[in-house]
Formats: sequence, C-alpha cells, structure tokens
Amino acid sequence: MPALRELQAAFGAAILADDERAAAAGVRADGLSASARLAVYRHHVFTSLAAVLESTYPVVVRLVDRRFFGYAAHRYIRDHPPSSPCLFEYGAMLPDFLERFGPTRHLAYLSDVARLEWAMNAALHAAEAAPIAPESLLASPDVSLHPSVTLLSSAWPVDAIWRANQPDVGGGTVDLTAGGVRLQVWRAGDEVVFRALSPAGFAFRDTLARTHGLEDAAVAALDADPAADLAVLIREVLDEEVLV
Amino acid sequence: MDARQGGDGSGIGLRSPHVAEVLVTRPAIGWLEVHAENYMGGGPSVRALERIRREYPVSIHGVGLSLGAADGVDAGHLERLAGLVDRIQPMLVSEHLSWSTIGGAYLNHLLPLPYTDETLAVVYANVARAQDRLRRRLLVENPSSYARFEHSPIAEAEFLNELARRSGCGLLCDVNNIYVSCRNLGDDPAAYLDCVDPAAVEEIHLAGHAVNDADGQPILIDDHGSRVTDAVWRLYARGLARFGPVATLVEWDTDIPPLAVLLEEAATAAGMLRTAGRGGDDARAA
Repeated sequence: MPALRELQAAFGAAILADDERAAAAGVRADGLSASARLAVYRHHVFTSLAAVLESTYPVVVRLVDRRFFGYAAHRYIRDHPPSSPCLFEYGAMLPDFLERFGPTRHLAYLSDVARLEWAMNAALHAAEAAPIAPESLLASPDVSLHPSVTLLSSAWPVDAIWRANQPDVGGGTVDLTAGGVRLQVWRAGDEVVFRALSPAGFAFRDTLARTHGLEDAAVAALDADPAADLAVLIREVLDEEVLV
Repeated sequence: MDARQGGDGSGIGLRSPHVAEVLVTRPAIGWLEVHAENYMGGGPSVRALERIRREYPVSIHGVGLSLGAADGVDAGHLERLAGLVDRIQPMLVSEHLSWSTIGGAYLNHLLPLPYTDETLAVVYANVARAQDRLRRRLLVENPSSYARFEHSPIAEAEFLNELARRSGCGLLCDVNNIYVSCRNLGDDPAAYLDCVDPAAVEEIHLAGHAVNDADGQPILIDDHGSRVTDAVWRLYARGLARFGPVATLVEWDTDIPPLAVLLEEAATAAGMLRTAGRGGDDARAA
C-alpha cells in the first residue's frame, strides 16, 4: 500500500475513531503537540457536521435539548460519517439511528419526527421535474410523483408535534394519544409543505409512486376505502402539481 | 470564453443569507463566488443561482473534490461538478490542495498533505482527470494548515508551482491561508508569498481568522468569521505588487455579517487592485 494511502487512513482514524497512534507519529510537534494539532482538525469535522445535523433537524433538537442532541450527533457522525461532500444530503440515517440509540429509544415518536424533518430537507433540495398538465393526463401512461414528494405514515401525530415546536410557537401541548397520521411532504414552488392524507389518498399516491400506473393506484385507493371518490383523488394530485 | 470575462476586480463569496438581497439590490461588485457542493441538487437555491448568473460573473469554488486523495477523486462527484459547471458557465473553477475522503467517508475538512514526490504524482493525476472532464483549467488553492508531516520535504509554494507547471492548472492564492499556516507552522508569510509563481496566480482569496488557544499556545483558525486583519492586508499588497491586479475575493462563512460589511471589505480590495493596476510600486507602498 502506498505511503499516502496509509497516512490518510491513519489520519481518518485519528479524526473519526479517536485513535491517534499511527497519525500522531507522522505529525511534527513544533511547539504544539501532534495530539493538539490533530484535535484542531477533529474539532472542526465534528462541530461542522453537528451544525449540519442541527440545521436539518431543528424540531428534534428542540425535543431532546441542544446539548443532548450534540452528544447524539457526535455518536452519529462517528458511526455514519458523510459519504458525499454535498452536506444537504447528510443525515438520512439519523431517524433510524435515534430509533436504536439507547438514550432516545424510549421516545417512540422521536424517530418519526426526524423522518418528517428529513423528508422536508429532501424536498427542499430534490431535483426539478415538470408536472403533468390535466389535459395531457390521458396521454401519459407512465406517471409518477414529483421527486420532492415523500409519503410518510406514522403511528404518532408527528404533524402536530412539528407545528407545536416551531420557533414562533410558545408552549402548547400535543395529545400523543391522538393517533397516527399519513402525510405527504413536498415542495410547492419554493416552499416545502406537508399535509395529512386520507387512507385512500395515501394508498392512491403510494401505489402510483411504486407502479407508475393510474389504474393500479385507483384499485389501491378503493381497497383502502370503497367509498373513495377517484375523481377527487386525481384532481388533488393535479392541483398540487405532484404528478409527473 | 475568456476565463476572466467581466470578472476583474473584487468579488464576494455569496452565502445563502445574502442571496435575496443581492438579487434585489444588485450591488456594484465585480463577481460572486459560490461553493459548488451547495448547488448540486435542485430547488430554490439553485434557481436563485441561475438568476444571479444572469446578472454577475460567477466563480465556482469546490470544497469536496479531494484532489489529494490517494483513492483518487470520486467519479460521481466529478460528474456532479461537471453538470454544475455546464449549467452555470462560471468564469473560474477552483478547488483545494487538500484531501477529505478516505474509504468512502467524507471528512468535512480540507485536510493536510505531506509534500512528497508521491503526493505530487497523486494530486497531478487527480487534477489532470478533473481538468479533462471539466474541459477547462482548474485553479488550486493553498490550504490553511494546523499541522505538518515529519516527512514533507517540498515547500508548499514549490509544490503548487510544480503542480501548475505539470498539469497546466492555475493557482488560487489565499493570502489569509498563507498567513494562518505560516504563523501556525513557524514560517515566514512574506517568504512564502515571494516563492509563489506569479504567472500561475489567477485568483486571490482574503478572509478573517480567529486566534484560539491550544494547550496554552496561540493557534490561528481560518474561520472566515471576521474582517481581514491588517497583517493580511499588508501581505495582500505584497502579493499584488508581485502578481499584478488579480481577481480578488473576500470570504465570510461564520457569524456572517450584513452584506454591506462584505461589500466594504471588497471595496478596500478593489481600491488596492486599482493601485496595483497603475504599477507595482504604488501597490507595494499601500
């Protein structure tokens, strides 16, 4: 293995795994110890990535307290460092991490709140796609949902939890026994929004996203609710411009 | 397209809190620079950049290509950069003499390299690959450093000069980084600057730095969180006297101030650029 590859592996271990043995030997001390010099780099990597996670998950930060979030973020960064330099894509695994993480495992709703925040982040940066115009729907056999759309089903009222934890909302309580919710998160113009869907509306869109077929989606909607009005379901996806 | 088309003079690093204000007020500024990795998705920020591009020359400054990676540059990331460059048609494209990827992980920092023949071969291959794919000249920036390696026999400035000679890349001379690195590593900033090949320098960066404490020793941190210091302005004047009036950018990334403060800093640089344009002696006296 070439020396540079080895040196970079050692430096990476010093930063992510706190294992400085190999890296420190190659760093010149010059008045400041090799360990203190490596710490400058480690500090920046962790604080900058924690800041990225904080800005993507502000409601989770508020729910668990900022100091605790910093602790969890440190563990997350060690276990799941970014795989891409595009940091708006960093943090996708945090919901699953929080679900398994010992200190937050008992907060059953927390990972679903995180899933909502991740869906909002993904919607903000999703690729552009032109929506299907109503008049060309019949000529479009292969349809799908806009790349910004995430369909999210939770056993908890995550939409109410999210709203009650916005910076401009003081206090307020959320009834955690209010039951679950099915949400569509998407980008409308420049804004990221979400709304609750009916069981039929959720089944319609979910099936559309998977099968790309209106007919399959209609069957799934009627399975979910035999009284569903298909004309309304289709008009809604056209009005929201999420059909592509 | 002329690499410096409309981009002479001073510019500012465009950060998200200032985008709307720039679009509305159209400040008189030579050009704007953005970080490539913030614009590799879709959505409102990318649409805003496309509107900005219609009003100003834009420079694309990458922070994630990892030109010093022994593993080589990531093909997927290079493709995304090429897509952005195709769409924005920037006046300049730049990256750093550093590495940030190892075993598929991206460490969010411009990490230091040992300056050896092996490293030169690795960085040369990565720069050549990037330039081939982008079909244009890349500028490579000197990093700010907090450590140097026991085995690093080539001086950084000489390493960059040789990289430019071999690969045909240009240099982005970050004057603040020279100051920060030299102070942290016990070198002379003026001597470093005097070593840089003037023919290769196509852009200059300026920014503020912080002075922190590390085990009781002062260490300069390149945090881009304050005004350019007097010492760095003096070093900049020395650089202009040596390089001529090279397109200069003011960066500010933490504790981002009102746009007006960045424009003031850029105006200071513009004044010094005009002086440099009238002759090196004036700039040296600045």
